[in-house]
Amino acid sequence: MSGGGRVAASDARAGLEARGRVNEVMAAVVSRELHDDDLVFVGVGTSGRAFTLAVGIPMVAARLAQERHAPGLDIYWGNLLNPDLSAVPEHLSQDTITRWPGAYAPTDIGSKVDMLVRGEFDVSFESAAQVDRFGNCNITRIGTGALPDVRLVGSLAQPEHLAFVQRPIIVVDLSPRVFVEAVDFVSSAGHGTAERPRDPASRAPGPALVVTDRCVFDFDDRGRMRLRSLHEGTTLEDVLSRMSFRPEVPASVPTTPPPTDDEVRAIRHAIDPSGSLLRA
Amino acid sequence: MRRKLTSIAEAAALVRSGDTVAVGGSLLRRQPMALLREVARAGTTDLSLITWASSLATDMLVGAGAVRHWEGIYVGLWWHGAAPSFRRAVERGAVTVVDRSESYMTARLRAAAMGVPFLPVRPVLGAGVSEVGDLRGVVCPFTGDELLAVPAATPDVTVLHGYVGDEYGNVAWPAQRDSDDVDMLMAAGSRRLVVSVERIVPHEEIARTPNLTYIPHTKVDAICEAPFGAHPGSCDTVYDEDEPEIAAWSRAGRDPDAWPGYLERTALDLADHDAYLDAVGRDRLERLAVGA
Repeated sequence: MSGGGRVAASDARAGLEARGRVNEVMAAVVSRELHDDDLVFVGVGTSGRAFTLAVGIPMVAARLAQERHAPGLDIYWGNLLNPDLSAVPEHLSQDTITRWPGAYAPTDIGSKVDMLVRGEFDVSFESAAQVDRFGNCNITRIGTGALPDVRLVGSLAQPEHLAFVQRPIIVVDLSPRVFVEAVDFVSSAGHGTAERPRDPASRAPGPALVVTDRCVFDFDDRGRMRLRSLHEGTTLEDVLSRMSFRPEVPASVPTTPPPTDDEVRAIRHAIDPSGSLLRA
Repeated sequence: MRRKLTSIAEAAALVRSGDTVAVGGSLLRRQPMALLREVARAGTTDLSLITWASSLATDMLVGAGAVRHWEGIYVGLWWHGAAPSFRRAVERGAVTVVDRSESYMTARLRAAAMGVPFLPVRPVLGAGVSEVGDLRGVVCPFTGDELLAVPAATPDVTVLHGYVGDEYGNVAWPAQRDSDDVDMLMAAGSRRLVVSVERIVPHEEIARTPNLTYIPHTKVDAICEAPFGAHPGSCDTVYDEDEPEIAAWSRAGRDPDAWPGYLERTALDLADHDAYLDAVGRDRLERLAVGA
């Protein structure tokens, strides 16, 4: 083995550790947004980094919140209310999901959809291929022509999440391909557009927060994405270079409060000891 | 009750070219693959699909050139990535799509189940799904609320895969299962209903727990036995997904030159479902079993 190989291996390890740290920062940020007695919706997720963003970070955040300030918080994962998260399997397959112990899994998924539309969920977590200045999300298609440049998965219940959930939180990595001036297709409506604000007849206020691997955004009173904090070690220039539009930037932008030593210990030793939630 | 037990081929023959077909299952669970491989082998074309979260079923039929239109909430291979043939066909314009959100889709299926022409829903304001041309604004005659009328789904035929059933067409759930799907709703609103099950059991076995019967025989036109009938997807609590096979599917599907050969080997060139099970390998299938 050459010296170069050893260096590369140690770089890879350092990269993984940095990624793990960023995931803990993101989970800690989200956990502070969760309130006691919230009903929180988490999707079932896919794999790799997409799983960490859609499931891992929300789950770790929800458990941190449950163990600290929100003991009455309820998680609805896919079609399962209060999955037992004390032992997350190393490898998720259909069978491990089917056999997950929990409080409630209605025989007709329409019952969950009803809870959603009735406004019973306080928080939801969103992934997206594109997010724009107003928090509109796209999971359906890339390209605005008659035919899509890239066909994505569809709509699922994301349209209902941004329409009927009180505090949707978008969790995505910062990238110019994702953070675009205007989404190609509005799968889920955020705070409107430059020409037209969010429909005043909406039954919920729209997305509350965007949590990324570099920073956190909220939305100003005109519904525009606004930089709320920068994660430790990230600069404003770094953030702006990873976006295709310039967000609202206040005169002073604080550092994202990092997780406390207690929170880090809880994540590593109690909540996600196998790393299956925050590994990617 | 009347005996409705048929072969897989006889059941699949109730799906005809040009039909609108509601296809059951969700994500990698209970996609009615044995029935739909038979539909593909029959050279059926010009289908219009209505699905919930669909994966292998839609991708296979599209990859076989059997589909002109799809409507639903999702098509993909879940943690195995995009549905490659579906994606390519939509990008080329070979298959048209109507995207529905979950509340609109359940309204469409519930209206069908209730026998009414539409149901009102709370509008998902500002979202692309609300721009679809078959929706109409309606005002509640009691409260004045502005709602959206969603038309009933009107499939010609509904194709589902279930756990166990009897020769009359009663289909039952196990007590433990993954319930994140709309199969019961699809069955309730069906016009022609075709069901495959993992096992045909004596009627007495079904009759002991009639509350577990989610599809009554009165609605069923044909029921057939198709063990491992959702392979390479899973039938929850019976067998797990076949991860290497779905990965092979995904690889072949991404390569337009490789896909036709893959489809021939795994569906078109096989005589029937027995030949499929032999081709996959009975030992391999048994290793996917997860017990009741």
